[in-house]
Amino acid sequence: MRLVRYSYPSFRAVTPVFSGYQRSPWTGLETEIDRLFDSAVGTLSGASTTRFPVDLYEDANNTYVRAELPGVTREDINVEMTDGYLTIAAVRKTPATEGKPEESFSFSRAVSIADEVQTDKVAAAYENGVLTVTLPKREDAKPKKISVAVK
Amino acid sequence: MTLLNALIPSLGRTPAARDENRPADLGQTVKPAYEIKETPEAFGATVYLPGVVKDGLEITAEEGQVRIIGRRAWKQPEGWTALHRESVDASFELVLEHDNAIDAGKVAAELRDGVLRVSLPKHEAIKPRKIAVN
Repeated sequence: MRLVRYSYPSFRAVTPVFSGYQRSPWTGLETEIDRLFDSAVGTLSGASTTRFPVDLYEDANNTYVRAELPGVTREDINVEMTDGYLTIAAVRKTPATEGKPEESFSFSRAVSIADEVQTDKVAAAYENGVLTVTLPKREDAKPKKISVAVK
Repeated sequence: MTLLNALIPSLGRTPAARDENRPADLGQTVKPAYEIKETPEAFGATVYLPGVVKDGLEITAEEGQVRIIGRRAWKQPEGWTALHRESVDASFELVLEHDNAIDAGKVAAELRDGVLRVSLPKHEAIKPRKIAVN
């Protein structure tokens, strides 16, 4: 056993640790893994999946469904309300170019909606690739203020 | 901190991940879905940017890269509570790298219904050319 007197770490002792900061030996591997993840996740979240993101919001009078549907014309969006389910179906068409016929791609998604909604007053708007469906709540489902007289 | 930086200069270095050309207020971004097609004259990029309007779109052509930034126009109004979220509020950012084969002066873009179509014409010098044999 050798006894070494404790010495305060000198600048020279510290530098190798930090010089490793500049380029870690794993840098190449990290970028390679990032690239692999990018390509794998990219195909999952890419434009060719049938799932599109849907958000549900609520305020005092309405329930809102927002769906991201870029590149779809208004005529190709079909919103239906059946049995407490809101179904959004859309077709994205790629116009025919020379040598290639027209391509189309359909998406569909059903969202369960609480039964406090007036199904006959559902309205939908499509703007900048986002579809917003407004579902008004029934009068008796709206939050009401009840004043209680305190005696 | 300055003393430490003076001792170890590599600490004061900006991290490699930080990009100098990036707008500072952008924050976290998501990479949009996109497709790239190539014709003999140009590259065509189709980028899906739902909820982005013309004012929120930024396309910058730099040395060796094209950066597309899309800021969402819609914000959750007051009084709306989110019951279920699948989308994110973050802006879109897509950086496409190229080998300077693109004529940055002729880049054209069109945004319609949340889909951005960018045409990136190739430089005259690299277009395929037929050479007649005498």
